[in-house]
Order: sequence, then structure tokens, then C-alpha cells
Amino acid sequence: MIQPMDQRELMTLQHYLKEYGQQAEIFVSQLEMLENGRMEAHAAIEALEGMMATEDGVVLLQLGAGASVRAKILEPEKVMLAIGSEVVVERKNKEAIEFLKERIMEMEASQKKVAETLDRLRSQMNEINKRLETGYQQSMAAGEE
Amino acid sequence: MFGGLKEKLQAASSRLGSSIQSVVTASGSSGTGTAPQVSVPEKERLGSSPPRSVSPSLIDKFKVLVIEREMIVSKKDISDALSELELTLLESDVALPATDAIIAHVRKSIVGKQRKIGESVDSLVVGALKSALLEVLGHGFDLLGYIQTHPRPVKILFTGVNGTGKTTTVAKIGSYLKKQGFSVVIGAGDTYRAGAIEQIGVHAERLGIKIIQHPEGGDPSAVLFDTVQYANSHKIDVVLADTAGRFHNKANLMSQLEKIKRVMKPDLVVYVDEAVAGNDAVTRAFEFDKTIGADAVVLTKADMDSRGGAAISIAHTIGKPLMFIGTGQSYDDIAPFEPAQVVDELLDGGS
Repeated sequence: MIQPMDQRELMTLQHYLKEYGQQAEIFVSQLEMLENGRMEAHAAIEALEGMMATEDGVVLLQLGAGASVRAKILEPEKVMLAIGSEVVVERKNKEAIEFLKERIMEMEASQKKVAETLDRLRSQMNEINKRLETGYQQSMAAGEE
Repeated sequence: MFGGLKEKLQAASSRLGSSIQSVVTASGSSGTGTAPQVSVPEKERLGSSPPRSVSPSLIDKFKVLVIEREMIVSKKDISDALSELELTLLESDVALPATDAIIAHVRKSIVGKQRKIGESVDSLVVGALKSALLEVLGHGFDLLGYIQTHPRPVKILFTGVNGTGKTTTVAKIGSYLKKQGFSVVIGAGDTYRAGAIEQIGVHAERLGIKIIQHPEGGDPSAVLFDTVQYANSHKIDVVLADTAGRFHNKANLMSQLEKIKRVMKPDLVVYVDEAVAGNDAVTRAFEFDKTIGADAVVLTKADMDSRGGAAISIAHTIGKPLMFIGTGQSYDDIAPFEPAQVVDELLDGGS
């Protein structure tokens, strides 16, 4: 005769699953934030490099809501860069690119760590899911008997 | 933990050492071998002139003489290296006031003081950086000592913004205190977030800690009042009061927190935030402290924070000690913040 899983154990497993799910959501949103930051840094590098490559220093400046104007960069060599702690410093174009590349590497390292944690959480969730599935099947089988 | 900051600090420390070393080499310029030389102006303790003929024995003697001489490092000698250190700290999200304090301390430790040439440049620089960091980090917070020296139950209220790991931190600290031999009761004061009561309930059950719960949507002040009553009647050592996450600019939620404070009269208000938030965590802690007060801070997710800016700056910026650091998912992944240990790890290359 099949012994059904204790209802309390089933409920606890459901709680675990819910809790892990909430944690996973937080890590997923952190991953998204890191990815956005990484893409933004790549775009900035591309723009900084493009600025140096133009002969007349004219760029298309986006004002928002799809509106843009042609603008002339007076000093493409000088870049105002937020380095952290709400501090902005003036850097040379190349230095700014180097800084952004370092930031990208940092973000990629963080992404790796968050992704590893997320993988661990998901594998724990899979385990719980399997146990829950077994529990439900046992309950159903016991009911049929 | 704080791998990026560690790497950058060690590089900055090495650059600072090189600056001192190069000034010494330039001013001494007389082949002092491996003995670290020092800067301008220098005065000689033993006034013998350098040897003209060079033989191994004479060089050895000269090394001894140089080692016995003294030097003074000038502000100019290290200004470039200090500027680099300043940028390194800012890039690691160390708050500006904390960065300024560290730079001022290092400058004060190194500039204008007489140094023996024999003194290792490395130890001079690392020593100055260590004492600067220790000054900024403060003394931490000895929770066990606090509990032992205060009337029971010691009531600890946890506050902070949403999603930073407050509830998990309450469970981790409960587990830590239980292992240290204290009896603990948890108050499920987050009656707002869906599933929060269940979440803390599961933690408490897993840890074998008594929990006081009311239905979802209830008054958190009532839950926490009942928790304190339970602790009083059962002679429990510590009350850990969980609360809903909130932002400091939400007036109604902050006034709810003030009510909780009035009702349960906590001995300690602990602000919880995540280390990965960097300078934002420092700003938020400052605002929380200003609005409802905080006695100590816990930083979570430090294992994912490569920069370490929040951990370095928070105590100095808001003037409240860092109590615990959360470093992972399991209950044991929390440790009391030990400033000396953190500084050693950052500068001595410990793990």
C-alpha cells in the first residue's frame, strides 16, 4: 500500500518553492540590471570611438521622444565621466574608454556570480518540484486505493 | 568578497610605495642596494661620508649607515600617488566623505614625519592605509556583548528598503544567536508583503525558533507587541522583529515604523541593505537614520560585491557601526563585521 506524503511536508515544500522563486526573481532582476549596464557601457564606448573618428565633430544628439539635433562636439578629446560615489571627473577620451572597459569586465564578473547563484537556486527548485510531484502522485494513488 | 577593491587597493598601495621609493632613490642616488631609501630633506644621524672605493665590505658598511639615516617625506612626493588612491576609492564606490578621510589620514601618517631609511617602504604604506581604513570602518558592533550586558529581552527591530534580504537576515541572525546559546523569538512584523509571514514562518520552523504571527494585513505594531509580551513571559533573551521593506520617502510607511518603535520600544534599530547597492545603500542608510534612527547596519549579498564601497563607507558616513555582513544563501553565511579582519584581507592578500 502506498503511503501518501505528509500534508505538512507537502506544504513546507510549497513554501520552500515559493521562497526560492522569490529569491530567483530578485537575482533575475539583478542580472537584467547588470546586462543593461553592460550594454550601456558598450554603447558609450562605441560613441566615444565614433566621436574621435568624425572629422567635423558633428554628431546626432538625441533629445528624447525620438527628437534629435545635429550637434558639434567642441572637445571630443575631453569626457566627463561618472566614476562612482556620484563623482564626475574629466578624462581623456581614451582613458574614458579604458575605464568603461574595466567596468564592463567588473559587470561581467558580477553577472557570472549572480548567474551561478541563480543556477544553484534553480537546481534546488527542480529538486523540490520533483519531490512535490512525487508527493502529489502518492496522494492521488492513496486516494484511488 | 570585495575582490575588485582588494586588487585596486593593493595596486594603489604599491604605487604609493613606489613614489616614496623613487624620491629616496633620487635623493640618495648612491647605491644603497636593497635598503629602501627615503626622501627630502634628510638628515644624518651618523655623519660619515660615503666611501670612495667600492668593495663589498664597504658597501655593506654604507648600507648600514643609510639604514640608520632618517628622512622626511614631503606632501609633494606622494601627491600623485594619493590622487590615484583617491580615484581608486571613488571608483570603488567609497563615499566622498570616507574617501577624503582615508586620504587625509594616509597623508598625515606619511607626510612630514621622520622616517628611518631602514624602515620598509611597504610596511610604511600598508600601515598608513590600514590605520586609515580602520579609522573609517569604526569598531563594528559586538552584538553578543551587547546582549550579555543589557536587560532581557533585548529587542532588535530590523528596517530597510524592499528586496534587500531583511527577512533572511532576521533568520540568519536568529540562527547565529541560537548557536551562541541565546533563546530567540521572531516577530513576523512584515504583514504587508504577500508570503512574507509564510517565509519567515518556514525559516523559524527550520531553525526551531518560536515565531509570533498575525494574519496578513494585520497591524505590525500589534504583532511585535505580542512578540515582546511572549518574550517577557517566557524569559526569552532576544526578540528579532521583522518589518516590511519601505522607502524612506514614503511618509505613511515611515510613520507606521515610528508607531512600531513607540509600541515595542526596541533596544536596537538595525538598518539592512545590500552591499551591491554601493553608494545608494549609504545614501539610503543616511536617510533612514535621519527619519527613524538606526543603531547599526547589516549589509547583505557582500559575496556578490566586488567593489566594497558600501562596506567601507557606511559606518563613517552615517556614524553607525556595521554589525553583520551577509555572504551567501545558507543560514551560516553571515558573520559579525570585524574591521581588522576585513582590512587585513584587503591589504595583506588574505582570502
